[in-house]
Amino acid sequence: MTAIPHRSSQGRIGRALVGHGQVLVVLGAIIALFIGVSFVNARFLSPANLTTIFSGNAYIAVAAIGMTMVIITGHIDVSVGALIGVLATVAGTLAVAGWPMWLVWLAPLVIGVAVNAAAGWLVAYAHIPSIVLTLGLLSILKGGLIVVTGGEWITDLPPGFFLAQRDVFGLPLPLVVMTVLTLAAAWWMAHFRFGRTIYAVGSNLEAARAIGISVERTTVGVFALHGLFAGISAVLFATQLTTIQSTVPPNLELVIITACVIGGVSILGGVGTVIGAALATIFFATITSAMIFTNVSAYWLRAVIGGLILITVLADVARRRGQA
Amino acid sequence: MKPVFHMAVLAGLMSASSALAQSAWTGGDDLPTNPLPCDGSPAAPAALPYDGATPANAPDRAGQPITVVDVPKLVGIGYFNATSKGIAEAAAELGNMTVTTDGPTEANIDDQITILDNYITQGVDGILFAANDPVAIAPVLRKALEAGINVVGYDANAEPDARQWFVNQAEFNGVAKSLIDSLVAETGPEGKFAIVTSTFTTPNQARWIAEMSAYAAQCYPQLEWLETVEAQEDNILSFNQANTLLTKYGEDMNGIIGMTSVATPAAADAVTQSGNCGKVAVVGLATPNAMKPYLASGCVKSAVLWNPVDLGYAAAQVLRAAADGTLTPGDTSVQAGRLGELQVINGSEILLGSPFVFTQENAGEFDF
Repeated sequence: MTAIPHRSSQGRIGRALVGHGQVLVVLGAIIALFIGVSFVNARFLSPANLTTIFSGNAYIAVAAIGMTMVIITGHIDVSVGALIGVLATVAGTLAVAGWPMWLVWLAPLVIGVAVNAAAGWLVAYAHIPSIVLTLGLLSILKGGLIVVTGGEWITDLPPGFFLAQRDVFGLPLPLVVMTVLTLAAAWWMAHFRFGRTIYAVGSNLEAARAIGISVERTTVGVFALHGLFAGISAVLFATQLTTIQSTVPPNLELVIITACVIGGVSILGGVGTVIGAALATIFFATITSAMIFTNVSAYWLRAVIGGLILITVLADVARRRGQA
Repeated sequence: MKPVFHMAVLAGLMSASSALAQSAWTGGDDLPTNPLPCDGSPAAPAALPYDGATPANAPDRAGQPITVVDVPKLVGIGYFNATSKGIAEAAAELGNMTVTTDGPTEANIDDQITILDNYITQGVDGILFAANDPVAIAPVLRKALEAGINVVGYDANAEPDARQWFVNQAEFNGVAKSLIDSLVAETGPEGKFAIVTSTFTTPNQARWIAEMSAYAAQCYPQLEWLETVEAQEDNILSFNQANTLLTKYGEDMNGIIGMTSVATPAAADAVTQSGNCGKVAVVGLATPNAMKPYLASGCVKSAVLWNPVDLGYAAAQVLRAAADGTLTPGDTSVQAGRLGELQVINGSEILLGSPFVFTQENAGEFDF
């Protein structure tokens, strides 16, 4: 029996290295884009544009941290976009109602944890497949949002609400939040017991059970953490613009999941890093901006991203086959 | 960097070849354009034969109480809340019409077809719809016509032979003129501007852009279009794209046109947060509620849209007239309650009128 965790952990390290290979590829691509496009137009490297690329997409990267953990455990959450929309509306509604601002920003985190812990509990203990459960949750959240708001936008937000428009240490707050959370989560997942448990559950369920890991508690914990990051993402999302729409950005969950996959998180579980997912988010943002700066038609954008997803998934499948 | 370079060359070749084919701006379609006169005089209406359908064996509904279902593209957004409100106002005024609004929670054609099918099975006298897809919705609407149901569209059309009448909120050339006129009012006739749209292939946006291009070529030849960027219907992406444009062009751009009610306020936020109010004008299609903060701050002077309450009101009036038999194929106008007489255009469409320009002064009168 003792051989099983040993073998599994060796395989894990091997796969993690392959995962890092993808992270390096994405990082290299970002650097290459920055260098190349700056020759076409030097304004690409201006602080304003760097703010747009890094800060303007931070909320996606933050949500991708939790999604990475969920996918690594072998699950998926397609409701996170709707959850972010609901939590943004909650924050805006409380702000308009005159709640103290720290509570307004805290409430989405608490509710995000509660909702996703409940979802994780149903996945772990009621054995509902996560894709089925979160599809249901997606409908409930999207429908509920429309029923509750009646489609009204929140346009009379108090001036102190706009957290994402603030600076810390001379840098845009969303950028700082994204960087600190990504690095902290990566460190935690690599060096702390519960963090490593996430990989163990995702790479070999039976082996994880055999060494005494509670798969159920890990699942609930991961979903709860995912809810926390969704809450933080929602605060960044809600406080970036002057108004809060009652609708969710179309396909936000797909954008987040795609970032994870391109960043080297295996859709089959067990492999991936939050740094990869954050870099992939920045990579998309860089491509989107680069296309405008180089006058490349946006028709290409979807083809490029679609191709990247296909290549990544194929490479992942090929890797698995090679190991089997 | 070779791939990017190759792609840039390819894109260059593509845009060059499309420039040979036609001068339309990116994001516009290839359909013929019909720009309005620069001085604001109305376009000469072209008489076209009726190309709508007629319900089969419809009972005589003249003056009779009728049950109507309104199926917008989606429910729960301010815009369709406003059309529903207008429909309800007309129904209350008419007194012999009961209307239920029921639609998908997302702009999904399959859900819309299912909802329509259910109401046809239940049995209604009239259907008001705003189609998510003009072709895909046609069979279920034809089924309604075969069942003797009066079918009238508004906001987003179906194939003409799948409905009786369509209430056109504003002709594409009318909206295009209002948008360009609003822009020029701020940038002057030699302004340089970019467009933020949903996608290049979204039908309404593509039509407006093509008409704007034609109208600008005719009335403001010095106006310089820089480029069009896509932003889906995503507020943060719209904000990011507008910021990217502001950085890319700097002083060389003094206007942004938003083509959706999501893109326009987001562009206004980008201009506000980058400190470009007064330097870069933002005009576009937008609902007054979404624009109130920017109209109030003075960063945005005007937003263009039709009045969706009037649109719903007119659609309900047209349905009642069709059911009563007071609007029949070949008519050139219809009486639409408080809106007065509305013109029939394009064979089987009813034109709501000129677009509405929301400003700091009048935006407070609307709530959608």
